[in-house]
Amino acid sequence: MSRNPSSSQTKNTVYIAVFAAMIAAMGLLPPITLGIIPVPITLQTLGVMLAGALLGPWRGAMSSLVVVVLAVAGLPLLSGGRGGLAVLLGPTGGYLVGWIFGSLVIGALFKYWVLRRTGNTARFLAGLASVIIGGIGVIYLCGVPWTSVATGIDFGTSLVGSAAFLPGDLFKAVVTTLVALTVHRSYRGLMS
Amino acid sequence: MIAANNTSYLARIKPGWKFGVLLVLSIALYLINSWTVLLSLFILSVVLLLTARVNFKQIRLPLISLAVILSVVFILLGIQTDWLNALRSVLRLLTMCLLAYSVSLTTKFEAMLELFQQVASPVRFVGGNPAQIALALSMTIRFIPELKKVYVEVREAQHARGLANNPLAVTVPLVIRSLKIADETAEALDARGYDSEPAAFRR
Repeated sequence: MSRNPSSSQTKNTVYIAVFAAMIAAMGLLPPITLGIIPVPITLQTLGVMLAGALLGPWRGAMSSLVVVVLAVAGLPLLSGGRGGLAVLLGPTGGYLVGWIFGSLVIGALFKYWVLRRTGNTARFLAGLASVIIGGIGVIYLCGVPWTSVATGIDFGTSLVGSAAFLPGDLFKAVVTTLVALTVHRSYRGLMS
Repeated sequence: MIAANNTSYLARIKPGWKFGVLLVLSIALYLINSWTVLLSLFILSVVLLLTARVNFKQIRLPLISLAVILSVVFILLGIQTDWLNALRSVLRLLTMCLLAYSVSLTTKFEAMLELFQQVASPVRFVGGNPAQIALALSMTIRFIPELKKVYVEVREAQHARGLANNPLAVTVPLVIRSLKIADETAEALDARGYDSEPAAFRR
């Protein structure tokens, strides 16, 4: 496909902005409650995972970065209406930074691995693995040590504390994979 | 958390200075181990917040959630190590968050955003484009109400079908409609000849 560069650059920027707005919108609305999981699920990290899985590494990471920048600058975009410099400096700031790297890793895995799989089962399993690695592994990898450093609580306890969010995050990983593969089927060339 | 018409002395200081001081103090807080120094810094941050004439309604909820997290931290640390250590940790975090509130609540959102863009402007040396960053940020702010509306519509539509709590039935239409909005906006920008390349690079 040959497009003039400024046109595709504009398109990239618009995609980044729309997905950033989607991540923000997902945090503004009341969370969905499900029978199987006791904690209500906010869809915000679902948006972070989807940005990577649908837009690819670079644009996905930029979408997350835009949300983080706007929230830190003061917009109350994070779930529960949080925002401002304190969200980054506080004990859970690492998870926020993790969003950026999480969507980067999910995007890279989707672009170079998942979308090259053939066969529905192989694709789903690769997709699920990618979202778990990026959306849970990478985000926790940034968040858990950050909490540990910021509070002085040892690493193990911090890790145990984050486990409370694991069921919800696993659920979101499954949803992300299903949604991303469905959308990629009807919107081909989203990452090319 | 945005400064709503704050007219205190803190609002008159340049955002860059406030941000710089906050950054330096945050690092310093981790290097200080004496609880008396930490306590005096905490009192200082309380005084700062009180004299900044901030709207306390804005920080009521964040303060409550911070208090919950910090009490958990305090109890955990107290049991695992010793109570003085727990006190130090809690004082450190409280001070840092109160200072951050003071900066956030006395700085206009636009000023803060402008500061971030200045900080990010060196990206042009590594091939980035500051104009695109500014466009992405302002476009996101403009898209948030629209995307929220779409999200509410989709959830209501699926509620009517009894699928309101089915994340798949809500997310797929939301994503498809977001992509459509993005495509339409990109086309509209192109049709109007929007060129985001900086003038210096134009040939």
